[in-house]
Amino acid sequence: MARTEIPPGTLYLLIMKTLESGPRHGYGIAERIQQLSDEVLRVEEGSLYPALQRMLIKGWIFGEWRQSENNRRARYYRLTPAGRKQLGLEVSEFQKVMAAIARVIQTA
Amino acid sequence: MERLSELWRRLMFLFRRESFQRELQEEMKFHLEMKARALRHAGVPPAEAAPAAQRQFGNTLQLRENSRAAWGWNAVETVGQDVRYGLRQLRRSPGFTLLAVLTLALGIGANTAVFTLVDTVMLKSLPVTDPQQLYSLGADDNCCEMTGLQGNFTIYSYALYKELQEHTPQFTQLAAFQAGAMPLAVRRSRGAEAAQPYRGEFVSGNYFQMFGINAYTGRLLAPADDRAGAPPIVVMSYRAWQQHYGGDPTVIGSTFVINSKVFTLAGITPPGFFGDRLTGDPPDFWLPLGSEPLLSGPGSILRLPGEFWLYITGRIKPGTSLAALQAQLTVELQQWLRTVPKLEEHDRPQISQQRIILAPGGSGVTELRDQYASGLRLLTVLGGLVLLIACANLANLLLAKGSASRVQMAARIALGASRARLIRQMLTESMLLALLGGAAGIAVAFLATRMILLVAFRGVRYVPISPTPSLPVLAFAFALSLLTGVLFGIAPAWFSSRSQPAEALHGATRSTRDRSALPQKSLVVLQAALSLVLLAGAGLLTRSLLNLQTQRFGFQTRGRYIVRLDPSLAGYTEDRLPGLYRQLRTQLAQIPGVLSVSYAGYSPMRGDNWSSEISVEGQPRVDYTKVVAPSWLRVSPHYFETIGTRLLRGRVINDQDTPTSTPVAVINETFARKFFPKQDPIGKHFGIGESNHSRDYEIVGMVEDTKYQDARGPAYAMFFLPFLQLIPREDESSQNAIDGSNYLQDVELLVAGHPPNLEFQVRHALAEIDPNLTVLSMNSFDEQVARNFNQDRLLARLTGLFGFLALVLASIGLYGVTAYNVARRTNEIGIRMALGADRKNVLRMVLRSALAQVALGLVLGVPIALAGGHALSSQLFGVKGYDPEVLAAAVAILAVCAGVAGLLPARRAASIDPMQALRAE
Repeated sequence: MARTEIPPGTLYLLIMKTLESGPRHGYGIAERIQQLSDEVLRVEEGSLYPALQRMLIKGWIFGEWRQSENNRRARYYRLTPAGRKQLGLEVSEFQKVMAAIARVIQTA
Repeated sequence: MERLSELWRRLMFLFRRESFQRELQEEMKFHLEMKARALRHAGVPPAEAAPAAQRQFGNTLQLRENSRAAWGWNAVETVGQDVRYGLRQLRRSPGFTLLAVLTLALGIGANTAVFTLVDTVMLKSLPVTDPQQLYSLGADDNCCEMTGLQGNFTIYSYALYKELQEHTPQFTQLAAFQAGAMPLAVRRSRGAEAAQPYRGEFVSGNYFQMFGINAYTGRLLAPADDRAGAPPIVVMSYRAWQQHYGGDPTVIGSTFVINSKVFTLAGITPPGFFGDRLTGDPPDFWLPLGSEPLLSGPGSILRLPGEFWLYITGRIKPGTSLAALQAQLTVELQQWLRTVPKLEEHDRPQISQQRIILAPGGSGVTELRDQYASGLRLLTVLGGLVLLIACANLANLLLAKGSASRVQMAARIALGASRARLIRQMLTESMLLALLGGAAGIAVAFLATRMILLVAFRGVRYVPISPTPSLPVLAFAFALSLLTGVLFGIAPAWFSSRSQPAEALHGATRSTRDRSALPQKSLVVLQAALSLVLLAGAGLLTRSLLNLQTQRFGFQTRGRYIVRLDPSLAGYTEDRLPGLYRQLRTQLAQIPGVLSVSYAGYSPMRGDNWSSEISVEGQPRVDYTKVVAPSWLRVSPHYFETIGTRLLRGRVINDQDTPTSTPVAVINETFARKFFPKQDPIGKHFGIGESNHSRDYEIVGMVEDTKYQDARGPAYAMFFLPFLQLIPREDESSQNAIDGSNYLQDVELLVAGHPPNLEFQVRHALAEIDPNLTVLSMNSFDEQVARNFNQDRLLARLTGLFGFLALVLASIGLYGVTAYNVARRTNEIGIRMALGADRKNVLRMVLRSALAQVALGLVLGVPIALAGGHALSSQLFGVKGYDPEVLAAAVAILAVCAGVAGLLPARRAASIDPMQALRAE
């Protein structure tokens, strides 16, 4: 089955949004995005983990090892204060762009 | 702020690299397991769940690498990997590595040595403060004492210097210093030791101030020391202080006896300061100009406005217009010349053409630079050629190595390595080799520079050029190593990375075509051509040197010795000279083995030359703008026999020429040709100066032409006068010159056999005459002449060495390529032999290929060698740049070496056992 591409530039947004409600591990983030978008958006692992690394570098998320639900060790990521701020910025930016596109579509 | 913490996190990553890998791996594993579990829950059978999860996951390895790459250290890490891999590879083939490093060390070292010399002699400034603010008045280097108009003035009198100093406020400091250096006889006042020879220079009081030099200890000269009547003081160089007085602090403030006059030592210059010019034997003592009358006595020239003997350098105020300053100086010069009463009437119209040109003075007087500039240029080219040949050799070696590991390379490409990464890896290996070679090359450069200095400055006691590599030299060696690494590494890397995986993995070693054969062969051709050029150059320069050394000089050197003395240093006044000269002849003649003793104002090939304008009786005034003034010399009786110059007509100067007999002169052939063409010169008269002197000397003899100063050009017109026959002159200046010429400076000895301890006996005999008579130097005549050819000898030896190196490298290269090809074609040779070829055919086949490359190289090399010879022709003496014998010899040598280099593997090929060859892979 073909996967719908995640629009470029929105991956950080999606990841941070899922982390807003609490820390998750990598698999959990991918699952959550899939779930919340009604199976429309599927994150490729090949893009997820590099993105997580970049967000770690930028200091938007923080990772720590914990016991998962099935008693296995997993790395959980959570938002940092800087990350929350970035999330807010990106959300408002995205909404602005989407509203503009919507206007263009409606008038045409 | 965020950037900073981001940078910090990136930096911290470096310390966590290993744990990062482990953690990421664990994270992936966890993710996979969760995925597999989800699949099982969805109904996929357990056995299939895991693989399915893996498939969905994708390339784990790629993902890990991408994640790691996000941290930004990828470039550095891969370089680190390449370096470590390269080092491993080099360790694995120690023979190859050693050979390569050695070759590179020689190539890079030779070039670094040349650069050390170029840097010191051509590029460096004097070790003074702000050398870029210094300017000299005059650009040429006329030396050392002269009168008359110069056109472009470069050398000045004290009166002229004071005039310029007073009227040119644009100079914050204007200093004058002696153009020539002078020998001094120095000893401490206390103690009975005899005076030792040193070198000294007269300088103005503000000399050190102008250069911005402060005393190391004590004090240096000040303008007050230049005043008439100031107590005589002297400044010593740090080097002389350390070497001859052991750094003894008590010398400062103590008195010294210099040329029999008493001076006080005021202080020591800082270490590293060697004066106003880069030259061999820099001054040991600096004396104020004001003390010149004291030291020179009646021969003093300080107060003579028409005696030009000083160079002038000054520090300019920033922002001064050079053109305006130059014009102002010229005007001042011309005005002063008009007021000088002693200027000859016929010179006056030329005053308006006299000029002063400003030249940058920060690198000092350019004497050494001009002398060695062309030689250094040649050396640079030579070094470059040798390096090219070394690179060609290495490239060939690497190509062969690359061919051998073709399979491995193909496998790596098949596994996904990018060509760029492979090339980078192999280039890293080359650069590592080059850097190792460069490091070894620095040691080679140090030794080579020392050797070059020894040969180039033979006879000089101290050269202020240090062979120790300075920072610019090290930087040069490093940069050259990198460049070399790229140069010889790029071609093999490029070719190796182009291996086709399928072809290589199928075992294409049976093919008869090898893609790298062409570049290998062209490299051999290049090496052969370059070697020919170097060999031809070496041959030309060696021949030129031989010609220089064995030419007809007009004197004989066998059994002759030259002793340099200066009676004025021992305090001899003119009236005591006749007695001294008598004593010299008798005492020295008594030394066993001495056949003949004579003395003169200077000896041939000493580097000295006196010339004066003359007037000939019965002839119109000579136009000295068209004719060079003749040279002249005062000689003792037996002079010509002692140095071996033949008498052609009349008689030589002998004992009947006394101070009271008729003033006579002996001339040489060129003089006779120039001034008495088609006449018999014997009995004619001429004199030094204007026509009122034209009857002064009667010509009594003519000797053969002798070269006294310039070994390459024809002999000068020259006349010889006896000592002590003095003609009174009208003006002080020329009277001085004539009086000064009465002092001998060289004593010549003709000696039979090789008497032991000759030098000791000479010194002893002289000490008996007067303990203050210092021997400034004593050498065989051969040695004195040989020192004139230091540079030529150096160049001939170096090109010979480089040529030999090139030949060895090219032969090794040819041998290597041929041997490699034979090994590669072993199979083919086996087939040919099985099909009926005999040993001779195989031999011919291999040899033909090898010699074809060399032949092509020769064809390419001959025109380049001819062009090179043409470029060299200004350096050559008695040899044309296209000398066919030299070229033929070079071709022959190269052909022979190539023949041997190709024959060895060819013979091995011919002795291949066909059965074994066919079985081989």
